[in-house]
Amino acid sequence: MISLRGVTLVYPNGTRALDAIDLEIAKGSFVFFVGHSGTGKSSLLRLLYREQVPSRGQVTVDAVRVDNLRRSKVPQLRRNVGVVFQDFKLLSDKTVWENVAFALQVTGARTRDVMRQVPRVLDLVGLAHKSRMFPSELSGGEQQRTAIARALVNNPKILLCDEPTGNLDPANTNEIMDLLHRINLKGTTVLIATHNALVVDRMRRRVIRLDDGKIVADEERGYYHAAVPASVALAGDAAEPGEAPKPIRSIINGLGANPLLSE
Amino acid sequence: MDSGRIRFFLSEVWRNFTRTLIMQLTAIGTVTVTIALLGGFLFTRQTLGAIGDDVIKKIEISVFLTDGASPADARTLAAKLRADPRVKSVTYVPKAQGLREMRERLRGQIDTSLLTANPLPDALRVRVVDPERVHEVAAFARKQANVANVEYAQDAVQKLLRISDVLGRIGLGIVALLVFTAAIIISNTIRLTVFARRREIAIMQLVGASGFYIRMPFICEGFIAGVLGAALALALLVTARLQLLPKLIVALPFLPMHAVNIDGLTFALELLGTGAAVGVVASWFSVGRYLRA
Repeated sequence: MISLRGVTLVYPNGTRALDAIDLEIAKGSFVFFVGHSGTGKSSLLRLLYREQVPSRGQVTVDAVRVDNLRRSKVPQLRRNVGVVFQDFKLLSDKTVWENVAFALQVTGARTRDVMRQVPRVLDLVGLAHKSRMFPSELSGGEQQRTAIARALVNNPKILLCDEPTGNLDPANTNEIMDLLHRINLKGTTVLIATHNALVVDRMRRRVIRLDDGKIVADEERGYYHAAVPASVALAGDAAEPGEAPKPIRSIINGLGANPLLSE
Repeated sequence: MDSGRIRFFLSEVWRNFTRTLIMQLTAIGTVTVTIALLGGFLFTRQTLGAIGDDVIKKIEISVFLTDGASPADARTLAAKLRADPRVKSVTYVPKAQGLREMRERLRGQIDTSLLTANPLPDALRVRVVDPERVHEVAAFARKQANVANVEYAQDAVQKLLRISDVLGRIGLGIVALLVFTAAIIISNTIRLTVFARRREIAIMQLVGASGFYIRMPFICEGFIAGVLGAALALALLVTARLQLLPKLIVALPFLPMHAVNIDGLTFALELLGTGAAVGVVASWFSVGRYLRA
């Protein structure tokens, strides 16, 4: 379904985001991409809907070579690949219904199809009763469900999620993960880039770990923290690459561990 | 295209148009000013051209004969002038007829009964084929026997010829500059509206809208702004013409305004077409630049 062969991505500023990646993902898979910020998870997803073109290597999505895809063919690819982001990217002046319908309408879909598809996906994400509301009237989880409905309305075979629960509290996070799981059960291939260890550990699905643009681990039924000792992984998570390690006091304060330690 | 799709498209255009109303008004205003100036210029040039042609056609050289010249001398001279290929016609005006014509011309302006004696000499009126060569013919006539004096509107002719020539060149430059400026301003305006809608555009690209579909609303807006601006300009021009022309005819009676005959419909369509073309081309380029970036 998805295959990467020797894919290297170097940004114009010289950053090597991906380094000789080889990867096969079967139809109907449910895959997590984990790793620190800046290790290439988002870059890898962006290659799959041709937001980014690799510097070297082949990218194939649903039997279509994406790396050298003609510009005029990109819309066709995008209709086959739904994308969901951390910040939802909803249009604030449109209702839930309009946001979802928009994705169909701008591809020139017939009104008959819009009237059939939009209620179907709104039912799927459980937002049929809120279809007349605006994004500002919804919870974070509901906004993300709207975004997922929009990503699914074109009936894509693949759903890419870049930090889908990054802005959500635990309850909303579980709700979204359950929804993504149900979507996967209906046959859609789901790829998720995430920092959320709980989500990964609860689902126990294929986990691909990236570090410095390379795949360092690829496990069926994996955990977020693989073989790395938990304490090290935690400290590493807190610091962005290139950033000085945070002083221990600020980490403790951040955790709110001991009220006596805070000023 | 079913009606729902057309409704969606129009509602998107309308929504975007109203949301960026100030910017759209800027674009419309720019087109209005440009087209009004363009139209005013074209109209003025056409008017001046028509007036110039009219005046030049009527240019004639008065060749006054010496007092002692006989009618036979006059006929000889007339025949000689007629033989010149640059001369279109020669009319003999004896002094009595000259006085009659003068009385006719001055009627109501001065008391012609005061003209008791006839101060006019016999004269020949010469018309030339090519107005630009009027001074050559005049010089030729001056050299002939029995000629006392030669008069023609030399300065007026040369000035008119020069003015219409210079106006033509300057005007062409100004028009080109105006259209160019308008295109730049509209393209900048559209770029602002594109920027204001970058979220919509990003999502359209994300969900697989074709480039044509993303461009289309902007092109439509450019078209609307161009046509609205040109229509406003046209209204201004028509008003100006209706208000000013009668006053102009009264104020400058010597100008043969009746000679100016402009095809109003063609003129209007040309201006509207220019406005629409400027709007469409400008938005096409600015959206294209954004989409490729």
